[in-house]
Amino acid sequence: MLEVTGITAGYQGGDVIRDVGFRVEPGEAVMIIGSNGAGKTTLFRTVLGLLPPSTGTVKLQGEDLVGISTHRIARKGIAFVPAERRLFPRMTAEENLALGAYPGRPDTATLEGVFDLFPRLSERRRQRAGTMSGGEQQMLAVGRALMSRPRLLILDEPTTGLAPKLAAEAYRALEVLRERGLTVLVAEQQVPLALAFSNRGYVLENGSISKAGTSAELAGDPDVRRAYLGVS
Amino acid sequence: MIANLLDGIVLGLQFGLLAAGLTLVYGLGGVLNLAYGQMAVISATTIVLAMDAGMPVFPAIALGLAAGGLLGLIFDLTILRPVYQRQGEARVLLSLLLTLGLAFVIDGYLSWKYPTKALTLRIGGGPIEIIGVRMVRGAVVASIITVVVLGVLLFFFRKTTLGRAVRSVIEDEEGARLVGVDPRRIMRLILVMTGVLAALVAVTRSLVVPVSTTAGFELTVSAMIVTVVGGLGSVAGAVLAGIVLGIISTVAASTVGTVLSLVILLVAAAVTILIRPSGLLGVRE
Amino acid sequence: MTERFTEATGTSGIGGIEHRGSRSMAALLVPVVGTGAVLALVPLWLGDSGVMMGLAVGGLTFAAYAIGFNLIFGSTGQLFLCVGALAGIGGYGAAILADKAGWPLLIGVIAATLAAGGVGGLLSWVAVRRSLGVIFTGIITLIFSLVFTNLILGLGSITGGDGGFHVQAGADTFLRQRIPPYYLMLGVVLAYLVVHGLLRRSRVGWAFRALRDDELAAEMTGVNVSRYRVVAASLGAAMLGLSGAVNAFTEGTISPTTYGFSQVDVTVLVMLAFGGIGTLFGPVLGAVVFSVIDELLVDLGQLRVVVYGALVIVLFLWIPRGVIPTLADLLKARARSTTISRPGTTPAPPSSTAPGRPSP
Repeated sequence: MLEVTGITAGYQGGDVIRDVGFRVEPGEAVMIIGSNGAGKTTLFRTVLGLLPPSTGTVKLQGEDLVGISTHRIARKGIAFVPAERRLFPRMTAEENLALGAYPGRPDTATLEGVFDLFPRLSERRRQRAGTMSGGEQQMLAVGRALMSRPRLLILDEPTTGLAPKLAAEAYRALEVLRERGLTVLVAEQQVPLALAFSNRGYVLENGSISKAGTSAELAGDPDVRRAYLGVS
Repeated sequence: MIANLLDGIVLGLQFGLLAAGLTLVYGLGGVLNLAYGQMAVISATTIVLAMDAGMPVFPAIALGLAAGGLLGLIFDLTILRPVYQRQGEARVLLSLLLTLGLAFVIDGYLSWKYPTKALTLRIGGGPIEIIGVRMVRGAVVASIITVVVLGVLLFFFRKTTLGRAVRSVIEDEEGARLVGVDPRRIMRLILVMTGVLAALVAVTRSLVVPVSTTAGFELTVSAMIVTVVGGLGSVAGAVLAGIVLGIISTVAASTVGTVLSLVILLVAAAVTILIRPSGLLGVRE
Repeated sequence: MTERFTEATGTSGIGGIEHRGSRSMAALLVPVVGTGAVLALVPLWLGDSGVMMGLAVGGLTFAAYAIGFNLIFGSTGQLFLCVGALAGIGGYGAAILADKAGWPLLIGVIAATLAAGGVGGLLSWVAVRRSLGVIFTGIITLIFSLVFTNLILGLGSITGGDGGFHVQAGADTFLRQRIPPYYLMLGVVLAYLVVHGLLRRSRVGWAFRALRDDELAAEMTGVNVSRYRVVAASLGAAMLGLSGAVNAFTEGTISPTTYGFSQVDVTVLVMLAFGGIGTLFGPVLGAVVFSVIDELLVDLGQLRVVVYGALVIVLFLWIPRGVIPTLADLLKARARSTTISRPGTTPAPPSSTAPGRPSP
């Protein structure tokens, strides 16, 4: 579904990621784990066309996305939930969700689906996004992404700023989505949650992929255990 | 006193409509359009010239509105292109300087070519009585038009998909792009819309006072002050600030005279900005 | 060369100038004196015509305004859209104090200059305290401009309102002769250049330029950025006030348009944009060039405004840094290719090294 090869990208200060490649097959849940500053956000921003790569390709079902603007990529069936969520704070939850379906009008069945998944959003539908709690905002961000009925859902550290209980809840919701057949790509620092959720994963270290494998392989890898699971 | 209040509201509504165009463009893309008043003046001049050429009033007004919209489109396609390539404060500054230059080009040309032209639209009939106050018919009609236009704007922004897309860009441009909104197209749409708004301001104002070819700068400055007091990017704030400042202005004018009332108005605006730099209804950053 | 230059600028604080200064003072004074010498010749050429000398004095007045504005906007990034108003405080203040309050002319000028400086400092202090950005500073100062103009119009009994008034004080002195006002104004301009030059060479001035390139570097030099902003604004505003005051007495008539926004602020902005914002001699070059252009285009009437507007657009689109920096870069590129370089006369190449520590 998504195939990234040889991506090098960064900001004026220099390259943040170098020669990064990974792939996501339809129906998979793939994680990219790495510590703070490893380049996970830069990588996703590049995939979404928010940052032009200096080299490399990003292919969505064979079509190269490099050079295509973000709003077009978003309309091709990739929904991205950034770590900072990027909600529209002075608009209501409902309006935020409606915009998720842009340029179309929100589809009632999809909206009901989101409310089923996150009943709290249904209660808060008239509340302004900016006044919601961190957990509710995260639900809203995921809900907004789902409104476009994406083929691929990409989440950048969905548990940022969430208490452990809420973080676990967030992954339970993702689990439900995956069971319904949605392809999910997630970047995570909270490795145990991501390992339990995904089929496969990549380890991003200092801007390069250092390891790849199934979740079971990665969970058994001594380096991963030491660096990310706190097991010596 | 009530008469002053009503006059203030009439003036304030026009301030609000005037500021709405400026505030939208700023809120959307950090572009400060200092040639905004000149957009209104060009539309007014178009209407005058069309009527001089024998065109009936309403087609002439329609032509003026179209001219305003077209001007907005031209701004977007020409002078603002390099502005869009900048980010942050550099973008605001460049937009301010380029549109200031453009304002002078337009001002200089119009006052050279049509030094004495002014748009005055008269509506026949005597004054209208509202809660015991006799109001000039033109002012009442102007206010009604303004309220209707503001209502349409409000509906557009609250209820339509496109209107919400506009607000999403104001709220969070990156978030908007991620849901599939193209900020450049939204900006173009809004520039066309503000061109039409500027033309509407010219039309409603000319029902009350003549709009001369040299009125551009004054219109821009009024719009800018109302915009800032109301909060950059907030149409509702612009309307609220317009009405507040309109009332202050007319009440002060009747007590200390026109010139010093302007001083009071400006000081009130400055104080508001200093107490709340985000404006009455602006986003706090 | 790079190292030596960095060293010289980095350490030329007050102490630095004293013991290291002869060369860096010369580097400042030689071009200032040169500029003065060239401009001093103008009366030999135009001295017979009262009209032309009047225009020349006007040109120098605008050069003085542009330097004052440059100090505030160019050096410290505060967009003061009240150049005319600050000059007007000087002009109206001095004229009213001398004419209506009967103060001695010189005392009136000093008082009005201080008043303008105080107002400029206050505006800057408010902007700094409320941490207003460029745009809000611009809007607040624009509002101040409009308030000033309307106060002048509204207080007609003192100011003469729309029509202004004839300044009596100094009417029978050299101030109204044909040529002396030119040299007076030239002296003012040269003095401003020296003051601005010294300020740029000081440690804070260096830090401020560094701030525009790299905030961290400026912070690391430990300069109180806010205070420098306020000081620069006060000084620049005082310069504007003084120029406005001198202008009132040499002109003999003042009215709201003498210090109007469209007449002063816009012109100064164009001049500065042409010469180069933040450069030392840009304001003078811009003022001279535009005074000449203005005179050449006098027959165009209102169309001159079109030309100016178009020039603003062209300047900011294609030579946004102004003529002097653009030319300097071209020359530097040529100098580098011929490997001729003299320290101190070419602008410092960008240097990654932090400025030297202040001398103990």
